[in-house]
This record gives sequence, C-alpha cells and structure tokens, in this order.
Amino acid sequence: MRDAQTSNGPLRVVIAEDSSLLREGLARLLGDAGLDVVAKVGDGTALISAAERHSPDIAVVDVRMPPGYRDEGLKAAIEIRRRVPDLTVLVLSQYVEERYGAELLESGAAGVGYLLKDRVADVPDFVAAVRDVASGGTVLDPEVVSQLLSRRRRDQRLASLTPREREVLSLMAEGRSNHAIARALYVTRGAVEKHVKNIFGKLGLAQTDDDHRRVLAVLTYLRG
Amino acid sequence: MILAVVRRGRKYRLSAPIAVGPKTEPGHDSVGPIHSPSFARLGTAAGFLLTSLPLAIFWFAVLAAPMLLGVFLAAVWVVAIGLILAVLSWTGRPQRQTFARGLALISTPLTLLSVHGAQAERRRIARSLGYQVSSPYRRVPRGSTLDRANARAEDPAFWRDLAYLLLLVAVGALEFASVVAALVFFLGTITLPAWLFVAFPEGAPLWQEVRIDTLPEALTVAVVALPVSVLFGYLLIIGLSQAHVVLGRALLGPSRRARLAERVEELTESRSRALAATLAERRRIERDLHDGAQQRLVSLAMELGMAREKMATDPDTARELLEEAHVEAKRALADIRDLVQGIHPALLSDRGLDAAISALASRSPLPVEVDVELDGRPSEVVETTAYFVVAESLANVAKHSGASEARVTVWRVPEDWLLVVEVVDDGRGGADPEVGTGLTGLADRLAALDGRLFVESPAGGPTHVRAELPLDAPGVGIR
Repeated sequence: MRDAQTSNGPLRVVIAEDSSLLREGLARLLGDAGLDVVAKVGDGTALISAAERHSPDIAVVDVRMPPGYRDEGLKAAIEIRRRVPDLTVLVLSQYVEERYGAELLESGAAGVGYLLKDRVADVPDFVAAVRDVASGGTVLDPEVVSQLLSRRRRDQRLASLTPREREVLSLMAEGRSNHAIARALYVTRGAVEKHVKNIFGKLGLAQTDDDHRRVLAVLTYLRG
Repeated sequence: MILAVVRRGRKYRLSAPIAVGPKTEPGHDSVGPIHSPSFARLGTAAGFLLTSLPLAIFWFAVLAAPMLLGVFLAAVWVVAIGLILAVLSWTGRPQRQTFARGLALISTPLTLLSVHGAQAERRRIARSLGYQVSSPYRRVPRGSTLDRANARAEDPAFWRDLAYLLLLVAVGALEFASVVAALVFFLGTITLPAWLFVAFPEGAPLWQEVRIDTLPEALTVAVVALPVSVLFGYLLIIGLSQAHVVLGRALLGPSRRARLAERVEELTESRSRALAATLAERRRIERDLHDGAQQRLVSLAMELGMAREKMATDPDTARELLEEAHVEAKRALADIRDLVQGIHPALLSDRGLDAAISALASRSPLPVEVDVELDGRPSEVVETTAYFVVAESLANVAKHSGASEARVTVWRVPEDWLLVVEVVDDGRGGADPEVGTGLTGLADRLAALDGRLFVESPAGGPTHVRAELPLDAPGVGIR
C-alpha cells in the first residue's frame, strides 16, 4: 500500500473529464483544497498517456468520455491501474452501477474509489474521499453499497443483522473507519466497535483492526 | 387463447391471458405439426389420406349439379347480353355491372356449397394433421341478396375453395392409391415366406442365378425387407400429409395478396400506435422535467439571488440560504439523474440486458429474482423494449400488486425467433391493461416491433406479464 503522506509534497492529481466546465471546476476545487493538479485531459487515451508521463498519486476519472460516451473512462481507469500499479484511481459517474464498481474492484481494491458525480457538491467529503483513495483506501458510493446489500437481501446471515448493524455494515462497506461511523450515527466509538464485532461474528468474517482490510472483507462478502 | 409454456421442467399455464393491443394472429399458426414420429399420429395421418378420396367424390357429387347449371346459365346469360349488345349498342359501366351481377347470382349456389366443403376440409386438416389453416374470406357486406352474391363472387377465396375441392378428387385418388400400396407392400413383406412358396414352388428368382428356395432364405429376405417397407410406408404417409398441408394452405388459406392486405392494415395501426406512444413519452418527459428539476432550479436560483442580496447586510441568513440552495441543487441533480436513467439506462447499452435488469431488480423495493439466458446481444431496439417491459412491470409490482417477491425471466426461443420476457409476482392481481397507460404503452411499443404482450392477472393474483419480441424482423435480431 502506498502512503502518499510520506512523499511530503501535495498530492499530485490527474483529472480526466470531457466536460470542460466540470474539468475546470474540479481542478479549481482540488487546487483550492491544496492538491496539485498536474494534468487535465478530456478522454481515455489522453488519460493513459498523462498517467504514464506524470505518474501522479491519483487520477480522478469520469466514466463517460469520448469517443463513444459509454464507459471509456472506466476502461481507461482499469487500464492505467494495470500499467501503473502504484497509481490510485477515483472514478466519478453520473450514475453508479454495482456492476461497474465490481469491475473496478477486480483490478485490485486498494486505492480505488467509485463515487456518484453529485458527491462533488459536498466539497469537504469529496476532498476527504480523494485523499483517502490516494492513501490506498477504498471508497464506494453509498448507492453502490445499497445495491450490493439489496442483492444479498435474502441471505440468511445478512437477515440476522439488526437494523442498526445493517447501517454500520453499509458505512463500513463505504470505507469508513469506526471513528467516522460513530460520528455519522451519533453514537460512541465503543458502541460502534461492539456492532462491528457482532457483524463480523454473524457473517463469519475474520476480525481485523486494519480499516482497509476490513472494507475488503465486507466487500468480498457482499459481492460473493 | 390458452398459453402453456414449458421451460426447464417448470410449466406455467396461463388460464386466460389478455392479449393487450391489436389481436393479430401470429405469422405461422401451427398447433402441433407431425414432426415427431408417433404411431398414433401416423395412424391418424393414414386415415386422413384414405378418407380424402371418398370425401372428394362426395363434394364433387354435391357440386356437380350447381356447377353444370352455372355453366349453362352463364352461357345463356352471355349469349343474351351479347345479343342485346349487338342489337342496341348497349354499353357503358352500369350495363357491364348488371352483366357481372348476373353472373354472380348464377354462381351463388356454387360458392355457398364450396364454402361448406372448404370449411370441412380446414377442420379435417387441423384435426388430423395438426395444422391450422385460417379462413381467408373477406367480410360479406350487409345488403340485398344480389349485393351479397356479388361480394362473394368477387372474393377469390371462394374460387380457390372450389379449385381445392375439384383438385381433391385427383389428389385423393393419389393419396388413397399410395396408402393402399404401402399397406399391401407391408402386409406382403410379413407374409413373404408363405406366398413365396405358393407362387414359386421351384423357388423364387431373386437375382440372376440366385434363387430363394428354402424357408430360412425366405425368412431372411422377409426380415431384411420388413424395415424397408415400414420406412417406406412411414415416409410416404408423412410426405403425403405434408404435401396435403401445403396444398391446403395454398388454396384454402389466405392468398399472398390477402395476407399482405391484412399485414398492411396491421402495420398502419401499429405505426400510428408507436407514434402515439412516442408522443406520450415526450409529454411525460416534459412533465417530469417541468415538475421536477425545473422547479428545483427556479427555487435554487431564487435562493442564490436572495443570498447575494443578504450577503452584505445579513451574512447569517445568507449562509442559511446558501445551505438551502446547496440542498436544492443536489435534489435537482438526483431528479435529473432519475429522469435520464428512465429515458435510457446507460448500463443497458454498455453491458446488455442481464446487467441492466439485475440493476433494476436491485433497486426494486422487493426481492426480485433475475434469470436472463441469452447468447449474444439482441439488437438495441429489442433490448431497449425488453428492458422497458421489465422496468414498467417491476414498477407496477412495487406500486400496485402488494407482492412480497417477483421473478424476471428472459430467454430466447430459437425455433420461433422470439425473445420472451416474463415477469411474475405473488401479489393480489387484478391488473387491468385498460386502466392506466403503462401496460398499453408497452403494448404499443411492442406492436411497433411486431411483438406481443400478454397480461394475466386474475383477482387474487398472481400477475403474470409476458412479452414476446420477434428477432427475425429486418434490422432486428442478434447482434
């Protein structure tokens, strides 16, 4: 896992987005947040060459880009992860689909993010997500998580969770730490730890203190 | 209409599905052709072929008198009119019409009788050979006897009926002789050893110097010949029945012209329905945009404007207003996202039906089991239509059915070139396609593709929606 914080300088970002309005907006937003935007490109091919030339810490990529306006961004993201193994990727999309999330995670779940484009509107959360992914974390949009959860709805073990435990599980799958979960649910950290322990017990997952590995365990379970 | 679908051992029987939309017959309407070798069917077919001749003779006898009378009267009529024409130079359209009407009246007994014969033959073909031959007649208008006679005489179907019944004499004779020959061949083969020695006490010549003069030799020949005679009889009977079906369809079924006329009518109707469906869709999009995103954007602009006003004098209120505007903007985004998704789901074009339907299912408030079995991707029109059948049905399930779960199945019927989509729930039923626009809109979309929609939803449930989309239309099919 990469630890971007050790390289001292600001996080170096490549932005791939075909709409110039959004591209400039994103660059400004991330620049204002203290990140270094090293390249801004408008399609998948340019993204691959920019990623190889600048070797940034993270690429922020739109799914739909020219020439086909389908999933070129997603394909390019998977491709650059193959070519530049250290590179982390945050994929943005107008709609999130569990299927795309799964394809992205198959390229390795460390340093991967998949968010609805709308999340850009919540600037601090979005910047936090970028930093999180850049430092090797996994960030999944709550929409994806709810799709994953609903797909496994009839799972007996999942059904045995209490409503509160399901809430905690969703937040865990999104990549949040116990601390963040406690804040989001307005409960103490101890209470969250208790829930997490129950969840791991009921789902038959191995306990771990490592946030990242915990996310992976949950995702593997939900996708399984 | 009763639909029974057998699929991987499960059998759904639809007691009375309502076909939504135009009631059109499928292009090829076989109910159970004789393609599987079964001796019961073989017997029925042989019976059919043997009865052709007696029936043909019967109808010939019935038709002979009116036919002769008709020919005689027609000749008299032609001569009479010819004389009048010659004497009075009596020409012009009304006169020619009178002439034609006279002939029509003369032919009436003949046409009326041949209809009965032809209908009996259609029933006989359906009953014994399992092929439906649909009635080809034009509608006879109300009016005087003369008008009706005229309409009948102008309908080529009657004359084709007559041609069939007359031809049946020759065809029936051929069929009768062939079946009898096959039977004789078969019976002769089993009794071969017996009559071999009766006819050839010295031994029967088989091939040049080879003679059959012992019982084992005769038995061997019989055993070898038996399968040959069975196969011969089988092929003969099947072949003749198929040939008879072809003849029946050609003369008793609707002519190419009539089929085309019907098809044009059907297409005209489905075209206007498709157009209406498109317009309705545009209106819905307009309404959704107007009531949703547009209102939110107005309110967003308003809040931003107010915030700007308050910025200098009342920063706290300005911050509150900005906060609200931010929330409003995000809601507008979500609205537009839902709307765009409803117009055309990106996942469908990118990953196909399975992925798109699974995504629909995962967004449904109740558990939905999805089973999509397709090799290759259907064309975009078929895919999109199939997708909207599922989307609309699942929306109905969630809104109206009170069901606890639903199942979506999509598969291809290669032999019929069909893509079948089924959505079944365990709800309370009572869905009426006549009420509300969802199901009729679907039927209209399907009609544009020559597809069909069946909805079965008895009170008390469950609801079963089935859509059939043809894959053999031009520009459609598997990519």
